[in-house]
Amino acid sequence: MTYPDPDDPASPARPSVRPFLQPSSSGGYRPAHRVEETVTDQSVSLRPFVITSGRTDGADPGIGMETQVTLNPMAAPVRLSPEMRAIVGMCSEPVSVAEISARLHLHLGVARILVGDLRAAGQLDVHVLDNDTPDPETIMRVIRGLRAIT
Amino acid sequence: MDYEQSPDRHVGTARVGSEDGRPKKAPVPVKIIVAGGFGVGKTTTVGAISEISPLTTEAEMTSASMGIDDPGEASLKTTTTIAMDFGVQTIDQTLKLYIFGTPGQSRFAFMWDDLIKGALGALVVVDTARIDDCYPAVDYFERAGLPFVVGVNTFNGQMNYSLDEVRWALAIREDVPVLAYDARFRGSVRDALLVVLDQALDKAIRQKST
Ligand SMILES: Nc1nc2c(ncn2[C@@H]2O[C@H](COP(=O)(O)OP(=O)(O)OP(=O)(O)O)[C@@H](O)[C@H]2O)c(=O)[nH]1
Ligand SMILES: [Mg+2]
Repeated sequence: MTYPDPDDPASPARPSVRPFLQPSSSGGYRPAHRVEETVTDQSVSLRPFVITSGRTDGADPGIGMETQVTLNPMAAPVRLSPEMRAIVGMCSEPVSVAEISARLHLHLGVARILVGDLRAAGQLDVHVLDNDTPDPETIMRVIRGLRAIT
Repeated sequence: MDYEQSPDRHVGTARVGSEDGRPKKAPVPVKIIVAGGFGVGKTTTVGAISEISPLTTEAEMTSASMGIDDPGEASLKTTTTIAMDFGVQTIDQTLKLYIFGTPGQSRFAFMWDDLIKGALGALVVVDTARIDDCYPAVDYFERAGLPFVVGVNTFNGQMNYSLDEVRWALAIREDVPVLAYDARFRGSVRDALLVVLDQALDKAIRQKST
């Protein structure tokens, strides 16, 4: 097919070309792979992290927003902070970290850290996937499942 | 509450453990990202397909502040809280689809990397009145190698540009689908997500065979 010449004043470039593709562009940005570097500078927003004893870098990178969390049936009764208690109270059925965060009004980062702590304390099972690249069979099942909804 | 409230001793006793003593089976979660500029219909899209009303979570995003915002100040980093909404669609007892709607500002590199880890793909929502707003999302998914589809939210059938014009404006590869859908209707959102899943399947099959 033919496209209008963007430099032709008779047919100006509307909509414009994505700026990232122009050689003069100052950059755009790339996917960052420097997690340690980026999470450490939290100085401007310490407040939400008070309940995690000030830690901002304790979250297990394997714990994602969609990661499923359940009670550890072997857990011994222990004393827990109200936030942790509330989390444990949500996990009798499998629940995602994002849902924990949303329903308890905890920042996502805080929810991740507390979930990790509760796993370390033997209270919760955190179902981290061995392989987070989606396999074709799983995708096929999602496709079939979505096709079935009306 | 079955424990005493005491403002300075934030502790309580939890009793946990299921009756049969066996670990619970948890469903496998998969996720699709819905991204795009402000007010393009991301939350509407998530709500249309979700079986629960969309939930909102606040996340810290570290902004790397480079490129468009402050050229030349590439090392400046600040942290911003953004609201992200999400919905769920249960496929069956062992499989759950999460749909995350995320603001598409280019600055929030850190959070997006977290978000796309393990994601099947993304739907980039476009309002033809403001096509430029989706550039950061398109650019990001392209660079990250995440399968994506451009979905023009038609806002009552109103489109200022044809799909071909949108494709041209975005300068995306031929194999990236550009489609029109209506964010308010479940069937329309479902069909758009099915196209995302097709792309995801292609990629997963390609990866498996190499
Ligand atoms: N008529 C019409 N209105 C729509 C459509 N999609 C969204 N809207 C309306 O447009 C407004 C913005 O939609 P949202 O879904 O909140 O958009 P968003 O992308 O989540 O917005 P932000 O989160 O603020 O960036 C809302 O008032 C919607 O009701 C559509 O297809 N047609
Ligand atoms: Mg929204």
